[in-house]
Amino acid sequence: MIMPAAFREIILLDFEFEACSGERPVPVCLVAKELHANRTHRIFQDEFGAAPPYATGPDVLFVAYYASAELGCYRALGWKTPERILDLFVEFRNLTNGLSTPAGAGLLGALAYFGLDGMGATTKKELQEAIGTGTWRGQYSADEILNYCESDVLALERLLPLMWPEIDLPRALLRGRSMAANASIEHAGVPIDTTTLDMLRDKWGSIQDQLIAEIDSQYQVYEGRTFKQELFARYLQAHNVPWPRLASGRLDLSDGIFRQMSKAHPTISLLRELRSALSDLRLNDLSVGRDGRNRALLSAFRSRSGRNQPSNSKFIFGPSVWLRGLIKPPPGYAVAYIDWSQQEFGIAAALSGDTAMMEAYASGDPYLTFAKQAGAVPADATKASHRGERELFKQCVLATQYGMEAESLAVRIGQPPIVARDLLRTHRETYSRFWNWSDAALDHAMLHGSLHTVFGWYVHVGGQPNPRSLRNFPMQANGAEMLRLACCLAVERGIEVCAPVHDAVLICAREQDLDADIESMRAAMAESSRTILKGFELGTDVAITRWPDRYRDERGAAMWARVMGLVGEGS
Amino acid sequence: MKKPETVVGIETQSEVPDPYDLSNLQLSQSFTETSGVKKLLTTVPVRKPNPQDWVRVHPDPAMRGHFPLIELKDEREEYVIAGALVPELVGEFVHKTLYTTINRQGVVSLWPVRLPDPDGREMDWNRSAREAAELASTRWVRVKANRSLGAYEIHEAEGIIAEPKWPELTFQEIIRIAFRDRLVTSLDHPVIKRLRGVA
Repeated sequence: MIMPAAFREIILLDFEFEACSGERPVPVCLVAKELHANRTHRIFQDEFGAAPPYATGPDVLFVAYYASAELGCYRALGWKTPERILDLFVEFRNLTNGLSTPAGAGLLGALAYFGLDGMGATTKKELQEAIGTGTWRGQYSADEILNYCESDVLALERLLPLMWPEIDLPRALLRGRSMAANASIEHAGVPIDTTTLDMLRDKWGSIQDQLIAEIDSQYQVYEGRTFKQELFARYLQAHNVPWPRLASGRLDLSDGIFRQMSKAHPTISLLRELRSALSDLRLNDLSVGRDGRNRALLSAFRSRSGRNQPSNSKFIFGPSVWLRGLIKPPPGYAVAYIDWSQQEFGIAAALSGDTAMMEAYASGDPYLTFAKQAGAVPADATKASHRGERELFKQCVLATQYGMEAESLAVRIGQPPIVARDLLRTHRETYSRFWNWSDAALDHAMLHGSLHTVFGWYVHVGGQPNPRSLRNFPMQANGAEMLRLACCLAVERGIEVCAPVHDAVLICAREQDLDADIESMRAAMAESSRTILKGFELGTDVAITRWPDRYRDERGAAMWARVMGLVGEGS
Repeated sequence: MKKPETVVGIETQSEVPDPYDLSNLQLSQSFTETSGVKKLLTTVPVRKPNPQDWVRVHPDPAMRGHFPLIELKDEREEYVIAGALVPELVGEFVHKTLYTTINRQGVVSLWPVRLPDPDGREMDWNRSAREAAELASTRWVRVKANRSLGAYEIHEAEGIIAEPKWPELTFQEIIRIAFRDRLVTSLDHPVIKRLRGVA
């Protein structure tokens, strides 16, 4: 294998660690191989020193498979984060994103993809589970665990030369840098009000029944704990709510449709929360450590856009928004939720170079400005004077971002299809440059077989390309790049980032540091947007929660208050 | 996945890439330049605008012209007569102006409007259509036949401010596309035979 001469050393390594729910990793052992020196280090629990025993520095390449796990162990040991990180998991995902792989994206899957057998890298499930749950003591010897760990390092050694020619190293190292930031974020975790969580867990069974009794009284769609489609259809008919259907003719009851319809018909929102609470929410799965922090594997680069895909049930920012009321800073601290304003719209405007769209973004109210640009409202219209028109144009913008057709938009805005068609056409006319660019992105994907972001995250066009998804890729995936870079900058500048959330971050700071940290985080987000968008800066909004208050998401506020009422607590 | 061309091959790379220096890492997102795709215009209908269509007429005088046309009423088809045949087919054709037209869906068409007779007489239908076409060179208009009026009603859109996106083609090219199989170049043409009752 030809290695770049510039690297003084290349380290392949793997940790085995205990990973109890919500806790920081506890390293059990480490195997590291220095490729140039052909030296292997096998280190067991009590032998970890103050620093790695192998080469370190900017001219040493650190290679791992899903590096944030290894880097989490580095943090637990107090070791300095490596400066050049190559994560073969991330690069394997980048190589195959959008395509099917013979055996997934794990280490065995990557070996299988390259025609290597999995010998020496068998998962040995029992051993793995024993280590993960911290029950290995007395069951397995140090040698057995080290041998298991070394088998993964040897697998890496076989995999690296095959992947090497496919790796775009400068950008791969940037992705590796983001895995270091993720390790830091997972290390921090989200502060949780564990007293309330314990109480909810304790009473959850009866709460669910009471919720049904209370909420369903206005819908009448449940029988016991079962949601009845026929009853829901009757409710929709009685309340004149048009509802999307599947090809089979049955009502589409997916959460995405519920979310969409809740926006057009807010009365549905509470029912959606109830359904989520009953079907998706397993309170015991929410992984909270003894220090009261929610920690879940961020599952970086798992989604097609390169966004994180953490477990819905383990991560506090899962779909049950009301549960976010459990987020509460510890005494003397505050949390701040900072999100980019209209990130997707801003990305679309900047990358397409559509000046009308950029102007709309810069106005601070792209929806109303869009209506003005289209001549639908006078130039001096305000959000208050033209609320209805603004809402229509807002729904149109959102519809284009979802790739929605006129029929779906018509349902969403509760207007005839001709109104929806005219709105979509107006969008095409007003932002014609954006649409040309979007068409070209789709053409590019179909002609060249892939699309990529500013920093080289690829989606490959597989057997059944989805044009809507491909069109949306530049916005979603560059949004993911933006968040990754902002997290890198923030973590490296010493901000405690607790969680990345789609187009936002949650940070935690001591009261006296809060203003400075918010300013620093916003500066990092602004810098990141300028880097991704050729100098175009996206704005950010901040929501602060100071102890003893709890985090509040408006979408879940009613449900939270209701649950707290049922358990006899003030909200 | 191919490495971007801007990336130096790692085998020959003599310096360690710096993931903290982003200055040379950005890849182009100008898919308009890289896709290398342009839309081809392969069909140009010859017809008056539908009564629901809002249309614009190309403002450039070079994008319109007068042609001798035979209209088959039943088929609603227009055939253009080659110049050499004009003397032999007097009475079979009429002169019409063909305006390059586009609707809100971006469909390009040719709008035929009959010219006044040699003596200068002109029916209200044709006069009102011509007025509408002229108006459409600067505004979005919709034309609708009003039989009791005996002319077209012309509606002007006040709220539409978007300008049409015209294809990058000359008028000759558009004519060629529109009439590629509807050009009468000899007296043996099936249209002529039908008109003379010999088909």
